[in-house]
Amino acid sequence: MSSRFLRITSRIALALILVVTLPLQTAQAGLVSTEQIARGSAERERVLGLLERADVRAALEARGVDVAEAKQRVAALTDEEVAQIAGKLDEVPAGGDVLGVIVFIFLVLLITDILGFTKVFPFTRSVR
Amino acid sequence: MRGILRLTHSARLCAGLLLLAGLTGCAGTPELARLRAAPPALPARVELEQVPFFPQETHQCGPASLAMALTAAGRPVTPDALTPRVYVPERQGSLQVEMLAATRREGLIAYPLAPSLADLLAEIAAGTPVIVLQNLGLSVLPLWHYAVAVGYDLPREEIVLRSGLTRREVMPLATFEHTWARSGYWAMLALPPARLPATAREDTYVQAALALEQVGQTAAAHEAYRTALSRWPGNRLARMGLGNTAAALGDWREAEAAFRQVTRDHPREWAAYNNLAWALAQQKRWKEALEAAQHAVQLAGDQPQARQTLEDIRKRMKEAKSR
Repeated sequence: MSSRFLRITSRIALALILVVTLPLQTAQAGLVSTEQIARGSAERERVLGLLERADVRAALEARGVDVAEAKQRVAALTDEEVAQIAGKLDEVPAGGDVLGVIVFIFLVLLITDILGFTKVFPFTRSVR
Repeated sequence: MRGILRLTHSARLCAGLLLLAGLTGCAGTPELARLRAAPPALPARVELEQVPFFPQETHQCGPASLAMALTAAGRPVTPDALTPRVYVPERQGSLQVEMLAATRREGLIAYPLAPSLADLLAEIAAGTPVIVLQNLGLSVLPLWHYAVAVGYDLPREEIVLRSGLTRREVMPLATFEHTWARSGYWAMLALPPARLPATAREDTYVQAALALEQVGQTAAAHEAYRTALSRWPGNRLARMGLGNTAAALGDWREAEAAFRQVTRDHPREWAAYNNLAWALAQQKRWKEALEAAQHAVQLAGDQPQARQTLEDIRKRMKEAKSR
């Protein structure tokens, strides 16, 4: 008796849960989650953070790259593009000297790409 | 660890566990020095008498400290109820991440405080007790301990802690800084989502609200995003979070308003148009929804999600019209 009662009530509960949650979930499936957006901005911060480093700034300026302009360009990239850059950074092996030769080369290439001197990354839109 | 605890023959000490790298050794009290050099604009002495006291049982300073902070934040709870959530028996202590997680489970904002003595005192002055992690031993021989800072006296350079078995432990700020510095100045607040910390920093606070949303505390996260926006109305993440939590709570009109605001403040944000399209589609405003979805596709570049949204909305529109 009681097990039958339990079975019935649990079925009713399940049906209710499905009815109540399903439409909401399918609707939300299309929403870009807050977490997804946060990830995008964290990666942007990371790339911009590199441009704050004194050694990186000095290296860029020594090559005639205006750091303020470079930052504006990074800010204008879409999340997807920034994610690609951050992905590249992850491929760089950790350790080594402080500046990180590869990070440096990568950044210079990216920045010069953005400024239209070179064309290494497919998504950069040159300024000139 | 056990041996050390026995040597101190005191139930006052307990083990918090530290997950921080790069701890510095003994190096004076730079935070106190900063405080002396630039005295903060705070009352000379404050004590939050109303913060309850739960004496800790053996090693259980984590649950005891957390219970005091949560109760003070309006979520009455006993250390015993918290023990299974934060105490790790094998390690005889509580991890900081679990202290934060247990706070979120109560629908409260778990706010990691900046490593600053001035900030800590400012929070107390604003009426919020602060959970601190101390290392009462040495860097090489750690004795981790959680306590709750509830008061201070600037002229006497003292701090008042609810600590272990002592309801009112008065400690010189210098000693406190030594013990606190050895935990990497770790401190946290537990706050109702309607209250902004006195020393709130934009990114840290919005991330704390996001953490609430991620653990399914949707209504609390919604309120926390609103609180964030009252101070930083242009914050993109908080505004998107406000919309997403409104949607999750079934309020598509509020969601629509939030996403629309993001499209005004950040016109290149494809996600705002994408979500706006959904909020409009939910209200069966098909024409506007399609426009927003198309705009999202234009901005999104290679991002497939916007295209998917456009297709889905077209399909739904057709279904709705054929009915």
